[in-house]
Amino acid sequence: MGSAQDIEIRDAKPEDINSIVELVIRLKRLNEEFDPLFKTRDDIAIHTKKYIESALGSEESVIIVAERKGKVVGVVKADIVDRIFYEPRIEGRIKELYVLPEFRRKELGKRLVNAVIDKLKNRVDIITAEFPTLNEIAVRFYNTLGFRCIMSNYAIEARE
Amino acid sequence: MTYLEERASRPAILAMKYHPFYKGKIQTALKCPVSSYDDFAIWYTPGVAEPCKAIQKNVDLVFEYTNRANTVAIVTDGTRILGLGDIGPEAGLPVMEGKALLFKYLGGVDAFPIALATKDAEKIIEVVKALEPSFGGINLEDIEKPKCFYILERLRQEMRIPVWHDDQQGTATVTVAAFINAVKYVGKRFNDVIVTLIGAGAANIAIARLLIAYGVPPGNLRLVDSKGVLHAERDDIDKLQFQDKWKYEMALKTNKDRIVGGIPEALKGADVCIAMSKPGPGVIKKEWITAMADNSIVFACANPIPEIWPWEAKEAGAKIVATGRSDFPNQVNNSLGFPGIFRGALDVRAYTITDEMCLAAAVELARVAEEKGLSEEYILPTMEDWEVYPREATVVAMKAIDQGVARIKKSRNEVYEEAYKKIKAARDQTKLLMEKGFIPPPPE
Repeated sequence: MGSAQDIEIRDAKPEDINSIVELVIRLKRLNEEFDPLFKTRDDIAIHTKKYIESALGSEESVIIVAERKGKVVGVVKADIVDRIFYEPRIEGRIKELYVLPEFRRKELGKRLVNAVIDKLKNRVDIITAEFPTLNEIAVRFYNTLGFRCIMSNYAIEARE
Repeated sequence: MTYLEERASRPAILAMKYHPFYKGKIQTALKCPVSSYDDFAIWYTPGVAEPCKAIQKNVDLVFEYTNRANTVAIVTDGTRILGLGDIGPEAGLPVMEGKALLFKYLGGVDAFPIALATKDAEKIIEVVKALEPSFGGINLEDIEKPKCFYILERLRQEMRIPVWHDDQQGTATVTVAAFINAVKYVGKRFNDVIVTLIGAGAANIAIARLLIAYGVPPGNLRLVDSKGVLHAERDDIDKLQFQDKWKYEMALKTNKDRIVGGIPEALKGADVCIAMSKPGPGVIKKEWITAMADNSIVFACANPIPEIWPWEAKEAGAKIVATGRSDFPNQVNNSLGFPGIFRGALDVRAYTITDEMCLAAAVELARVAEEKGLSEEYILPTMEDWEVYPREATVVAMKAIDQGVARIKKSRNEVYEEAYKKIKAARDQTKLLMEKGFIPPPPE
């Protein structure tokens, strides 16, 4: 299991890509639980890899990982978004956050989110997070960290 | 029909003869004298107003002035009756009456069957909570999972009387008692055996929890469900967190060796197998038992047919085998648990029955068998060793006092004497009613 002390939070490196892809896919598969509209595509792996590659090479994204003894056990990815209508203007939007089950309850999620806040504090005005409405564990997690709900996302299928 | 088949089918035939004859298995009976109609003025109005007013001032006096401290509500929604599934609350009632009979005869407890016409977890919770003023305890019976976990957890948090689900705590208590003695008998240490639990339903999740509370390291447990061995990185673990958080908890902390696969992989090298899964035979294969560690222990508890026949398990190398059946040695029998545990909890007006109280009962249950002399075929007392009930009651009550969950304090001796007297009275009364013909002999 390991204790929280031997887990390091650091910026993602190109060589982490496969581990990160695996964690993000796990996260997306979990989302299937909440709504059929989150059914993952068969070739999710290829697209996740491209998505992470492009984020790693972009100034507008940050990826931070939790590492234990050379193994990536948690990841957070945030994008920088310009809220053109509103003030405060610049938003750091957490799009992915996942910790492997056996490394949970060690406040790694909190450490990852705090690392994002710390890294972006000079570049963004607010931090937001995006996740399926029915993920009550995420709701509780962000509420505990002091976040509040400011946006809803509703869906309807366009075709019968 | 062979002799064995005939013997096996006999209870079913007699049950259909006797049930309509007796029209029920329990009734209420008076506890106070009625010598003349004048006594009604004491037991009922106007006299009864005085105890009412006293209770109004101090609500705990209800336990002293009424029978509440000797009562349990047996609550079901009929969704998981025996192995019969969802057969409806009415069809479940004979089982609830049977349970009430065991409560009375083995524990001296007055239990009332309450079969509910709702399957909605929130409604069940609401109804049971509203029953609280009438009862000393609640026994949830034959409610399907995972609803049963949720209901038990909520009611235990929200009620000030013990709430019990026998398929969880009861089975766990008796199984852990059997585990303690079996491990001791084969000369192993409980804190370094590997225990494979087959089936991850209500019973095995509770057993795992109690084994951990007893001191078995969580990592030494391997739980197997229909998808294979649980481990923290199994593909469906995130989903489990939302579907069955109790199983999820176990997945996170068990299986330190990261065994992947199914029952055979989980049994390989294990010291103990506790199967609470689906009726056999053939659910567990002989060669899987052979691949366990030397002097292995196999509890195959599915009913009516164990996951593997006891003789097959023995031939395959198991040293000790237990089942759920009364016609084989070492019956893991819930009736060894709940009557004594509730007796003790009620006699100190406990607010709850904690895992530690269950564990105390398990240890005492194991001790009773040990004192009589353990053997391969005797790791648990039988119901005939009936001193087990007052002894269980005593350790449960003392633990409740220790943990500060008892409304009143009593000495160990007081608890034992009281429990012994009440349980003996229940047996003697039944005998007397039979002798006097109020309980007539069964029809031919």
